[in-house]
Amino acid sequence: MRKLILSTVIAATAATTAATGAFAQSPSDVAKARRAFFTLVGFEMSTLGGIAQGKIDYDAELASQSAGDLLSLASLHTADYFAPGTSNEDLPGETRAKADIWDDMEGVQEKSMAFYQAVVELNDVAGTGLDALRPAVGKVGGTCKACHDDYRAADF
Amino acid sequence: MSEQLEKTYLWDPVVRVLHWALVIAFFTAFGLGKFGPDQMTLHFYAGYAVAVIVVLRVIWGFVGFTTARFANFVKGPGKVMAYARTLPSSKPSRSYGHNPVGAIFVVGVLIVLAMQVTSGLLADPEDYVNVGPLAQYVSSDVTRKALSYHEPLSFLLLLMVIGHIGAIFWYKKRKGENLVTPMVTGYAQLPPRETPAE
Repeated sequence: MRKLILSTVIAATAATTAATGAFAQSPSDVAKARRAFFTLVGFEMSTLGGIAQGKIDYDAELASQSAGDLLSLASLHTADYFAPGTSNEDLPGETRAKADIWDDMEGVQEKSMAFYQAVVELNDVAGTGLDALRPAVGKVGGTCKACHDDYRAADF
Repeated sequence: MSEQLEKTYLWDPVVRVLHWALVIAFFTAFGLGKFGPDQMTLHFYAGYAVAVIVVLRVIWGFVGFTTARFANFVKGPGKVMAYARTLPSSKPSRSYGHNPVGAIFVVGVLIVLAMQVTSGLLADPEDYVNVGPLAQYVSSDVTRKALSYHEPLSFLLLLMVIGHIGAIFWYKKRKGENLVTPMVTGYAQLPPRETPAE
């Protein structure tokens, strides 16, 4: 009986914590979510980059899946991952996102649109062969770099 | 001016070719890095060229012609200070090869170039297309460090190049010595050298 009560308390505490977390995202939570998002983007890009560079054998299904997942990610509403007060000045050591992002949201949006469009193009050709995939992956990678150059610090 | 000067063989072809190849490779790498396309394949090739040039120049610094050898032009602090005191004077230096202060620049620029090449080889900008070829063998802490050094080092190298060109202008205007022609032709007008370099 005591055991049951205890586990109920723990469950209730956990539920409360989760609920509170969901309604009041701390800046750290935002930065964590943002990095998780880019970790997933990087995970798919790592596969696609590996295929493009010949480190992974071309496989139409694998390439299509990765490109499709990348497109799904690129289609997310990411504005909330970029809540104000979450730059590397606000959260040193937690993020490499420069304050320049919030000073130049228009530029960021322009570059993320370039990324999205490159991903759409990649998704169109990913399953059609290595020769079509390679330049499309290169183009997406270029849009990664364009944004990193301006808006991401090289190190924490 | 009754100074006796004669045509003297100063720079061997290896030194000259490596020098001008470095000029081209460095500015190509620098320009492409700063202003080039986001897919940096050509920047990588220019960087590899810089790497090859640096390696060859260091080897040549041990086995090359007299004026190319580190042992013949790298001097201690005493000689460096003594030479540094003559820099402001309008008296021509008539150096046979690198002077003791220039030697610091030669060694320094080779070291910074080697650091720059290393940081480029190890850097991972996480764009999956412009990843340094050695980045896969080290931790992400190292690839980030390398990335964070790569751009400041390029700026330092640019400053060194400007200082180098500034020194050439100084020798031309103040001391009346042309340092560029010998690096092209290999020959300079220098006092007769009866005894070989010490």
